[in-house]
Order: sequence, then structure tokens, then C-alpha cells
Amino acid sequence: MADCGPDDDRAYSPSRPCGERSNAAVSRTHDTSVEAAGLYVHIPFCRSKCRYCGFYSVPTAGRDTGPLVCALLRELERYEGVDFRTAYIGGGSPSALPVDQLVGLARRIRERCPRVREYTVECNPGQADAGLLAGLRQAGVNRLSFGAQSFRAEELRLLGRGHSVEDIDRSVNLAKQAGFDNLSLDLIFAIPGSTRGDWQYSVESAIDLNVPHLSAYSLSFETGTVFDAWRKAGRLCPVDEELDRAMYEWAVERLECAGLDQYEISNFARPGFECLHNLGYWANRPFVGIGPGAASYWRGRRTMNDADIERYVRAVESGMEAPREVQPVNAEDAVCETAVLNLRMRSGIDLAAFRQQTGHDALRTFAEPIRRYRDLGLIEVTDRCVRLTRPALPIADTILCDFAALE
Amino acid sequence: MTEPMDTQHIRNFSIVAHIDHGKSTLADRMLELTGTITAREAKDQILDTMDIERERGITIKASGVTMNYEYAGATYMLNLIDTPGHVDFGYEVSRALAACEGALLVVDASQGIQAQTLANAYLATGSGAEILAVINKVDLQAAQPELVAEEIEHVLGIRKNECFRISAKTGVGVKELLDAVCELLPPPKDRSDEPTRALIFDSHYDDYRGVICYLRVFSGALKVRQKIRLMGEGTTHQVTELGKFKPDMRPVDQLGTGEVGYVIANIRNLGDVRIGDTITDDARPAPDALQGYKPPMQMVFSDFYPGNNTEYPRLRAAFERLALNDASFSFVPQNSQALGFGFRCGFLGLLHMEIIQERLERENDIDVVQTAPTVSYEILLRDGTVKRIDSPSELPDRTMIEELREPFVRLEIITTTDTIGGVMMLAEGRRCKLVKTDYLSPTRVMLEYRAPLAEIVYDFYDQIKGISHGYATMNYEFTGFEAGDLVKIDILVNHTPVEALSLIVHRSNAEARGRKLIIKLRRAIPRQQFEIPLQVAIGGKIIARETIKAYRKDVTAKLYGGDVTRKMKVLKRQKEGKKRMKSVGSVQIPQEAFMSILDTSD
Repeated sequence: MADCGPDDDRAYSPSRPCGERSNAAVSRTHDTSVEAAGLYVHIPFCRSKCRYCGFYSVPTAGRDTGPLVCALLRELERYEGVDFRTAYIGGGSPSALPVDQLVGLARRIRERCPRVREYTVECNPGQADAGLLAGLRQAGVNRLSFGAQSFRAEELRLLGRGHSVEDIDRSVNLAKQAGFDNLSLDLIFAIPGSTRGDWQYSVESAIDLNVPHLSAYSLSFETGTVFDAWRKAGRLCPVDEELDRAMYEWAVERLECAGLDQYEISNFARPGFECLHNLGYWANRPFVGIGPGAASYWRGRRTMNDADIERYVRAVESGMEAPREVQPVNAEDAVCETAVLNLRMRSGIDLAAFRQQTGHDALRTFAEPIRRYRDLGLIEVTDRCVRLTRPALPIADTILCDFAALE
Repeated sequence: MTEPMDTQHIRNFSIVAHIDHGKSTLADRMLELTGTITAREAKDQILDTMDIERERGITIKASGVTMNYEYAGATYMLNLIDTPGHVDFGYEVSRALAACEGALLVVDASQGIQAQTLANAYLATGSGAEILAVINKVDLQAAQPELVAEEIEHVLGIRKNECFRISAKTGVGVKELLDAVCELLPPPKDRSDEPTRALIFDSHYDDYRGVICYLRVFSGALKVRQKIRLMGEGTTHQVTELGKFKPDMRPVDQLGTGEVGYVIANIRNLGDVRIGDTITDDARPAPDALQGYKPPMQMVFSDFYPGNNTEYPRLRAAFERLALNDASFSFVPQNSQALGFGFRCGFLGLLHMEIIQERLERENDIDVVQTAPTVSYEILLRDGTVKRIDSPSELPDRTMIEELREPFVRLEIITTTDTIGGVMMLAEGRRCKLVKTDYLSPTRVMLEYRAPLAEIVYDFYDQIKGISHGYATMNYEFTGFEAGDLVKIDILVNHTPVEALSLIVHRSNAEARGRKLIIKLRRAIPRQQFEIPLQVAIGGKIIARETIKAYRKDVTAKLYGGDVTRKMKVLKRQKEGKKRMKSVGSVQIPQEAFMSILDTSD
């Protein structure tokens, strides 16, 4: 198999078993003997398409999802020998698959990846039942991420989520009963028409559920979505940026009080519950994505599988690579991507790790923007790291763009 | 060797007209009628050689063309010296006229006399040229030749029955006009026995042949291989080629008294030839030179900066090329903390500036940032010395200044009687003092003002055009520097003064002008990561303030593995956008912010 070789010195291994408390969000221990990576599995199905969602997915109704599930495992075979340390089944809605298919897939992946420490499955609160959750737990899944989005019924309706507020409470409790302690909820703020009070209600409700991880995303209008069309037609009015920012800042503060520390622009966790898989992305470590529409960063190339289930299944089942777009990443791109991704984390660029990973001294390579933003109080530099300050977070892109290319 | 033409059969004349009144079309028709070019060759407006000239319908440089015409059984040599039609180029008109005995003053039958027509008529009379008034475009439906003839009689004192009524487009009346040129315009005086004197009325640079001088021989003759002397410069050169424009260059052996043509004499730099200088024979020099020209005065100045600093050498090369063929354009290196390295450029007027700017972009493809045009000021220092400054940054400390003087012009505006109120209001708002009102006809009026040039160099012309629905025309002539209550206003961005935005203005306008500027800046400078105060200051005193609020939100909420390539592209674009901006302290100012300052309209 062309994609399987023994060496990649940019190996990645999380420092601790999932759930263990540690001050370091992610350690960058380097293991040169095997290729280590994260594994992402994309399930391109949903019961129904949410109006804001720009990810690739098709409705499950009347469709045999079996061949795709088989093809996913077949594509995974191409990565024999790769030491996957984290796995993440996302979508779409993995929970839109028939229970036996999802549980079977989860088990087979686990068998293939015995060293996985954090194993997440995304779940729509409306699709979680005791059988599914117990099955996933048995299959070795140790983390669930629920797409809660909002605790306001009218907001859920507007978003087109297809689940209720009660579903969120119910599914979180079921998950706990099934033995999951590492749970995450996704929330969306700045939903058109949403008030500060609506957002506060959702955040408080999430805190009340006592989960150790939360993601809070400002709604973005992705091209090709219903929301995007509605906005262009004037049917939806985006929340103004003052309110958007106020919602964000309030949440950051409130969640910290609740013990959920911000560790990335949109992510909050109790110490030790940071999502290892996602930390791998921000550390710019290699990862393999399988499934139609999935991206990989593997052996110096970024690839994106074509978003076409039928072609994917045909190609993979006939022993070929998934049809995909390939983008080589040159040394300069790698330096910049690493910097931009690292800076999204509150821990910022770890200077030693950065040098080891890219061969660059971040303080020299990015001396100009670092000096400029430091003067403005938007970047801080310690002897070990460069990171964005808190006021910089809501305007991170205006800063990160100066790290996106070398002069 | 051909014998010099008998001066009795030479006619040297210019066509002077307002833009679009048909000067170039008339010239083309004459070239055709005299067989100088065939109708097939007649590309419209053959005398305008530059693209810009043809596109804008104006002539920038004077040029001379020789035609042969049979009249009353004799062959006449008609030398037509073309002239530019715009206010900024009045001095070129006077140059051309100085080489002529006659002028055809062309007026559009549908539009009547315009401010520029008047200015040209004054120039022609002043130069002693015989004037034939020509009413053109009589074929137009809107033509009112009788009314126009009355205006001409009223304003210029040329009897209305003496006006020629023609259509350069259809050719009606053009032959009669050519006959009249032979019949009515005076021939050059025969001074063929006197020492050689030829007036250089224009020149241009040719990459292969060096400087080509356009000249009119007033006395004696010029011959190939003759050793000539430029009387003003005192330099001598050997004539390598003489010729005429027919309309392409045709070499001849000699140019006799009264003739118009060109000389090539191994002159490598345009700067070595002064327009208005007299050429004489080195061996037998004339005792004194012909009366030359006043060199044109640069009145409008603006800074040009490359949009990208690495383009500075290219910008310099481009300016050098432009200056090669335009002695009235000048540039000196300039360094501004806001915009980096650039050049301070001097122009005759606004149109001249626009033309240079367009040629710069068209011929060189360089992005430039250009600051607001300013005028030249004169300063009387406490020690009694007088100093000219072309830029607010050259202004000495206030304590050293006894008096600050600004250029004034005589401004003539011709407009319709129903729009006179609006035009007067605008002029008064610009500190113009009404000197005279003259009704040309029951519907048209001429206003004469004493006006500060600074007030009219911006958008004044556009504004009166707007107020008068396109009817009004204007012309101005520099009269002198006058003292005024002038102050320098500084613009501070985030407490840092931006030299490039400083202005010298009349105190009564200081706050309004300053505020207008910072309001525009507020709109043009994108929000940054912090709040930015914009201030207007006179001396150290702040007289106005605006604030640019900080960015509130600019962050990608979700960024995981699959989005990296796309997001990096977006961020790189965002960075590219910033690169086009210039830093003032920690503030990024886009070129558009500076450009927007140029635009004094709202």
C-alpha cells in the first residue's frame, strides 16, 4: 500500500489516558519508531439536513448504508501499521446509522486501533437510546459528543435540528448511565433572533448537565446552506458583531467559573478533558480521514476525499484509493499552518515543540507580527510559548493572517 | 536644391478652439482637401498622436503640418500649427500663436463661446495674429449660427457677417475657409536676407533620432549640415536633418523664411532645448533673439507613491520617461513616513496632473498612491527673504513666518443665466471675489473672479459643471501671490501626524476641511484591533476629532483538520489585503484612504 511506510518523525502521542487530569493539554512526545496519527471517520448521513450545516451529508431515508460502512473499513485497511492514538467518528450524524452498523463499525475500528486512548463518537441527542450507547461503550468508545446546539426550542426549530431540548437532557443522562464520563456538548450562539438571555439560558442549561467538555461556536453562514440562502434573500439577519462578541465573552467568563477552562477559541473543558483528537489538529499533527468528504494530513500532503458516496464505495471496494484532491504542503506552508493552528489554543505555540516540528524558531520567523501584536497587548510571549491574549481571541483572524505566510 | 518658397504664398495659422468644438476634425478636413492625406488615410484626428489625446478628444502638444493649396492660380504653402484646447495648456497656445500670422477661432454653433474660446481669443489678439472667426457644426440640429455670430460680435468685436459658417464633419464651407486663409491672412514678412532666426515652438524626444525641434523660421534660412546656435542656451549643433510634417516627417534640404518644419541636430536631451529659444547661424549669428516665451509655471503639486515599495525604481524610471517628453512636468524624490518613498510632482494644472497619472498607469502598469493636490505658496520670512514652497511639509516654523501668500488667479466662468445663482454661490463659498459680470446674450453670462487657486484646483470645475448641467466653462490665469490668513492643518492618526495628509488652508475653512478629511478617513480606514482617534490639529491645538471603533469580531469559530487548506487561503488573502496598506505607527491605512482624501466631493 502506497500510503503505508514505517517512518514519520512527527509522531504524535497523547501523554495520558483519556480523562486523566493533567496540566499539559497535549504533550508532544516524539516516537520515531512508528507513524502515529489521529483517525477521523466521516459518516456522510443525517436523518435530515440542518439548515446551517455545511458538512457533507445526505439523508439516510430509504438508503442502504451498509456498503458505505464496509467501504470505510476497507479504506482503513490501507493504513495498516499506522499507530492511531485517537479516533473520532463524526459526520453528518453517525447516530443516523442503524445501531448495529454503527456499533459494528466502532468495534472493528477499535480492533484495528488497539492503542487508541480517546475514542469519540458524535451523536444527535434525538438519536441516542440506551441500546446504542451501551453498544458503543462496549465497542470501546470512551467519549461522546452531543450536538445539543441550543436549549431554546424555537432556536432548535430554526436550526432544523430534529431534536428537542428534552432529548439533550435525556441523552446526556443515558450516556452517563451507560458509563461515559467524558461527554461533550456543542452549542451555537449568535443564532439569528437570539438574545443575550437566550444564550445565557443555553449555557446555564449545559452547565447544569455537568459535562466536562463544551464547544461554543458562533454561527457562521456556510456557502450553499439554507441559512446562507435565507440571509442573501433577507429572510435572516445575522446577529450584530457587538452582540456576537458580548455573547462570546460572557460565555468564556461564565464557563471558566463553572470550571470549564477555555483551551481553544471555541472549546472549553475541565482540566484533563480536553479533546485529544482535536488537539492533534491544532498541534498540526498528521491525521488520517476516511470516508467521502473526509480530509487527511498525511505524509506532508493534505488530501480531501471527494464528497460522493457512490464513487467512494466503488473505488474503495475495487481496491483503489478513494477519489480525492491532493495538496502538497511545502516547508513554508507547514511552518505557517503550524503557527496558525497552534495559536488557536490558549497554550499557543510551544516554542520547543515548534522548533522540533518545523525546524524554525517561531520568535525569529514571526518576529515582526509577534513584536507588533505584543506592543498592542494582543500577543504574549513567555520563555516557553507565544500565545494570544484573551482580548485577541474575538479578533483572532486579524492577527493569525499575519502568520499565514512568510514575508 | 529646392528654392525657398516666396513668402507671399506662405500662410502660417493656428486653429484655436474649446475642447470638442471640432478643431481636430477641421484640421483633418483641411488635410484631405489639400490632398495632404487621402480620405482613405484620414484616420480621425490625425494630429493627435497620443492615445490619451485621441480618447479624451483633446490635444496636448502643439504640432505643425504643411499643406499645399491652389488658390487664384498660385500654389500656397499652408502651415497649420495645432494647439491644445484646455485651460492648463494656455501657454502652449501662446507658443503656437507666436509662430503664426493668423488664427482660426472655432466656435461650436450649438454651444457658443466658452471660457476657453475667450482666453484663446485674448491670446491670439495679444500675439498680433489676424483672427478669422469660424462657426462650426452648422449641420447640427441644435445649431444656432446666428445667435453665436451675435455673441462673437458682442464679445470679440468681429462682425457677424464676417464669421465663417462651416461643418468640418460634412466639409461644408471648408474650401471657402481655405480660400479665406490665403486671401485674408497676412503672409510672413520677407526677411530672407537677414541673419537666420528660427523660433523653437515645441520639441519632442524620439528614441532613435534624439530631440526633434519644431520651429518657425522668421528670417534667413536653415540648411542641412549648417552649424546652428541656440541663442538662449549658447550651445552649437550641426543640423543633420530638416523637414516638414506632411503630416509624416518629410526631409527637405532647407527651410526658408516664413516656413514651419523640424530640425534634428544631434541633441540627446530634451532638457538641452528650451522651448521659445531662437536658433541662429553659428557663423553669422543674429544680433538678438526673437521674443521667447515665459516658461509655464507649475501651480499644482501632488505626491505619488508606489503602491508597493519595491516598485519605487520602476516608478522613477516611468517618471523619467514622462518628463522626457513633457518639460512642464517635474518630480523630486520625497519620503513620507506614511507612504514610504515616493515623488513630489509638479503640474501646470489639474488636467495636466490627470494626464500624467493616466499615462503612468497605462504605459507602466504601476499602482500608485497619490496625495491630494496642493498649490505652491510663497512665504515672507521674518528676515525679509521670500521663499516658494510646494508642499505643506516645507512650511517653516510659524515663528519664522511674517506672511504666508497663496496664488491667485483671474477666473472666468461662462454659464447660462438661469444657473448663475448656483455658480456664484459655489464661487463665493470658495473665497472667490466677483470682479465683473458680462452678459454675452440674454441667456449667457460671463463672470470674472479674483480667486485663490487652492480653492479651484480640486473639484471646482466638476462642481460648476454639475450646477450648470454641463454648460459652464471656465478658464483661469495666474495673477500673483497674495497674503492670506492661512494655516497648516495636521491630521493625526492614533496621535501620529500623517505628513502626507497635511494641508495649508484658509483659517475660515480649517475646521470644515479638516473634519471632512477625518470623516473620510474614518470611512476609509478599516477597523483595527484597537480604537483609533483621528484628529485635526492647527499647531498643537486639536480642532476636530473622530474615532474609528475597534474590530469587534473576526474569528473563525470552527477550525479542524478538514478546514485548514481553505482557511489558510482565506488568511493569506487577508494578509495580502493588509500588505497593500501603509503603516502609521501601528495603524494600517489602505491606499484607498489616501485616495479618498483626493476626492473632495462627498
